[in-house]
Amino acid sequence: MERRRELINFIPVVLLTVIGFSSVYAARSAQINSSSLTYGLLFIAIFLAVHVFLRLAAPHADPYLLPITGLLAAMGIMMIYRIDPSLAAAQATWLLVGVGLFAAIVVVLRDYRKLDDYIYILGLAGIALLVVTAIFGKDMNGSGVRLWLNLGGMWIQPGEFSKVLITIFLAGYLHSKRELLSTTTWRMGGVPMPPLKHLGPLLTVWGMSFGMLLLMNDLGPSLLLFGIFLAMLYAATDRLTYPAIGLVMMSGAGVFAYFTKAIVHLRVDVWLNPWTDIDNKGYQLAQSLFAIGDGGLFGTGLGKGYLLFRNGQEIIPALHTDFIFSAIAEELGLAGASAVIILFLLLCYRGFKIAVATDDGFSKLLAAGIAAGFALQTFFILGGVMKLIPLTGITLPFVSYGGSSIVSNFASIALLVLISNRTNSERLKAARASELAASLGRSA
Amino acid sequence: MNSSIRKLFYASVVLFAALLGMLAYQQVINARSLADNPHNTRKVFEQMRINRGVILASDNTELAKNRLQGGLYYRQYPLGDLFSQVVGYNDMVYGQTGLEHSQNDYLTGTADEVEVTNFINQLTGKQRAGANIKLTVDPKVQKTAMTDLQNNGKPGAVVVLDVHTGAVLAMASNPSYDPNQLEADWAQLNQDPSGPLLNRATQSLYTPGSSFKLITTAAALETGAFTPGSQFNDEKGYIDIDGNRINNYRATATAAPEIFGQHTLSDAFAHSINTTFAQVGDKVGQAKLVEYQQKFGLYQAPPIDLPGDEVAVSGRYVNGHLASPNDSLDQVHVAWMAIGQENVQVTPLQMAMVAQAIGNGGSEMKPYLVDSVIDSNSTVIRKTQPEQWRQAIQPQTASTITAMMVRVVNEGTGFGARSDKVQIAGKTGTAEVGGGKINAWFVGFAPADNPKVAIAVVVENAASTGHDSSPIARDVVLSALGMR
Repeated sequence: MERRRELINFIPVVLLTVIGFSSVYAARSAQINSSSLTYGLLFIAIFLAVHVFLRLAAPHADPYLLPITGLLAAMGIMMIYRIDPSLAAAQATWLLVGVGLFAAIVVVLRDYRKLDDYIYILGLAGIALLVVTAIFGKDMNGSGVRLWLNLGGMWIQPGEFSKVLITIFLAGYLHSKRELLSTTTWRMGGVPMPPLKHLGPLLTVWGMSFGMLLLMNDLGPSLLLFGIFLAMLYAATDRLTYPAIGLVMMSGAGVFAYFTKAIVHLRVDVWLNPWTDIDNKGYQLAQSLFAIGDGGLFGTGLGKGYLLFRNGQEIIPALHTDFIFSAIAEELGLAGASAVIILFLLLCYRGFKIAVATDDGFSKLLAAGIAAGFALQTFFILGGVMKLIPLTGITLPFVSYGGSSIVSNFASIALLVLISNRTNSERLKAARASELAASLGRSA
Repeated sequence: MNSSIRKLFYASVVLFAALLGMLAYQQVINARSLADNPHNTRKVFEQMRINRGVILASDNTELAKNRLQGGLYYRQYPLGDLFSQVVGYNDMVYGQTGLEHSQNDYLTGTADEVEVTNFINQLTGKQRAGANIKLTVDPKVQKTAMTDLQNNGKPGAVVVLDVHTGAVLAMASNPSYDPNQLEADWAQLNQDPSGPLLNRATQSLYTPGSSFKLITTAAALETGAFTPGSQFNDEKGYIDIDGNRINNYRATATAAPEIFGQHTLSDAFAHSINTTFAQVGDKVGQAKLVEYQQKFGLYQAPPIDLPGDEVAVSGRYVNGHLASPNDSLDQVHVAWMAIGQENVQVTPLQMAMVAQAIGNGGSEMKPYLVDSVIDSNSTVIRKTQPEQWRQAIQPQTASTITAMMVRVVNEGTGFGARSDKVQIAGKTGTAEVGGGKINAWFVGFAPADNPKVAIAVVVENAASTGHDSSPIARDVVLSALGMR
């Protein structure tokens, strides 16, 4: 049942991919050759293969996850292909790796709840990745942020993976400490407060996020990590006090960073007024806004936006990674760009729905943490490129160019697939059992 | 936990709603201001990728064409400074002026009529292209006008109109500039006090002096107060109106004014007798004088196909602003107005239109520069149809004034415009600008018995009409009639 629905949901994805790649090719046939069109076909083949795989490996998994991520990834690779076909080749390769990891997780972690036994190892691994990056990380693109680690000749962003590992850790940790964290031992001005000793984890994660910011200049991932933590803490305890205290702590850190870290100062100033130094500091955001504004209701059409200089260089720096949404907004307009936002909202909706539907606390927190992570990451980067909030460099899941991002996000989807598959098959089993019992009762 | 997870979802919905709201704001509400930001080079760059239409003169001489370099089309102006102010420029840095500006939608192919062609062309695999613009101007006439102005050496302008259609045959402004060197010369062109970028024919306002008597005479005749034979007696060379003295023309500020004795209105017109026209104005009154200015189109922008900000409105100016035509003037100012020495300011285009109307039986045509728009498939998608703008005066009045204008050239102040090849009708004007200098006007048309071309010439800081404006008018008229 779920898989048939998934197949039906794939139809628009396939159609849009075919139309998208064809129109990019039509608009830019002078610059690109037709053999690169195979990326479109390869892409469709990958997702149909995943569908068949799920029929065997996780037949009851949520039927919307894959079509949504497929459509997002299709838009991403289409846009990357439009910006630079050679990058699309690399992205397609990473997509294959991501899907491979996805399949591996679905098979190997079939009983994913065993992860609960290894959460400290996973959490330490996540922190270790961050520490290693903080020490050995390189600034690959001159953005002033040291995010990259050379892994045997391959550049990866460990931050993307530690996000997944730390989410798993938090799910297990908060699940076990849930009762303790929810108790009220004292009140401050009538507001029930948790026991002070349990503020430890809060302080730890806060310190970690803040450390990331100070050591790596890494605004986006540190904020995201802290945001995911607050969301999961709230989900586990149902106590607004935690996110409230957390926000106060983060604000304090933010104010401190504004006055001490040049990059934070710069991002905030540019956000407040990108126009004063439009040719230098404000250039990236101003060009992003020009591109978005140019899109209007229906966009310029794929391949027809003003995204590249004559020599093929991107007009907006980091267009194919952090600013890919600006390219979508220009060429597909309000119609296409709001579709992207709504797709992310749907993805989060499925994630939270899986969290609500499942029956054990670890799964609930894990699904909610992943969903909250997608929501926050989308908000941070899209809000940044649209001048809703200061820019925090971070990728748009599934859409931005980047191997680490796409692979780690597929790992998150694999976890959601496993959780929903287990929930749905157990529910089905229970329904069958009660049906059986009823029919036995009738015959008796 | 379910209730807190649901609340997390609601919080996410709020975040996503904020994203959608900001997206809609930037793409719809703020889009215009983003597009207009001078740092947003999208529009200019986009247009430079379009094979912009060519601008042609009436004899198909190319006035503006393209040079393709690195996928971008750059503008070239083969005739250099000859048509600079009319054709204007199209520059990536400094924007657009003249017809390059006003006809931009046609030239870039974004006008609705051209879009259809482009759509069909795209279906058949042809490249998108702008439409060509064919003008009414004749390079030979323009060359005569520009050469004469440049040889004369003083700033000035010439406008030549087809009497029957209002088509502009020449529109010259001196000094000019080379639009091919715009970016290199920009700073210098903007500092030059003589204002080479200015289109003096349509943008500069001049005191009309005695050329304004064309309008005063039209009012005098049509109100029935005077005929060409109306008698006057000038015994002193000046008259006093309401305690203020108005003199006849004096060679210098201290010289004695000329005394004309017994004469008719027609004599006064031929010799431009100020005292007589001051009396005419006094009798006709302010209301009628203003009414006839409006009949000839003053106080309104001439409906020509140039950018609106490059066409000045003629009329009475006070402190640099166009005054209301209904402002009440005292008696002596009405008399001053009748001889064109009050605060009335006119453009050469407006005066050429006055001459055109008189030459065309009182029917003033809409002036135009664009003859036709031709798309990339050689289809004429727009052809300008001559159109009456206003009936300024009655045909009978027009022919009476014509006869008076003939006398100006044959025996009066316009002697310098006389030609033995064609009878030219005209009226001179000398507007004092101080330091013994004048702005010299010649406004007229030819042939007098069957008018074909109308002309207005103004030369700034001139010595006399006979030396400066009249000979230029004669040369240009002969050139326009193919007699030179």
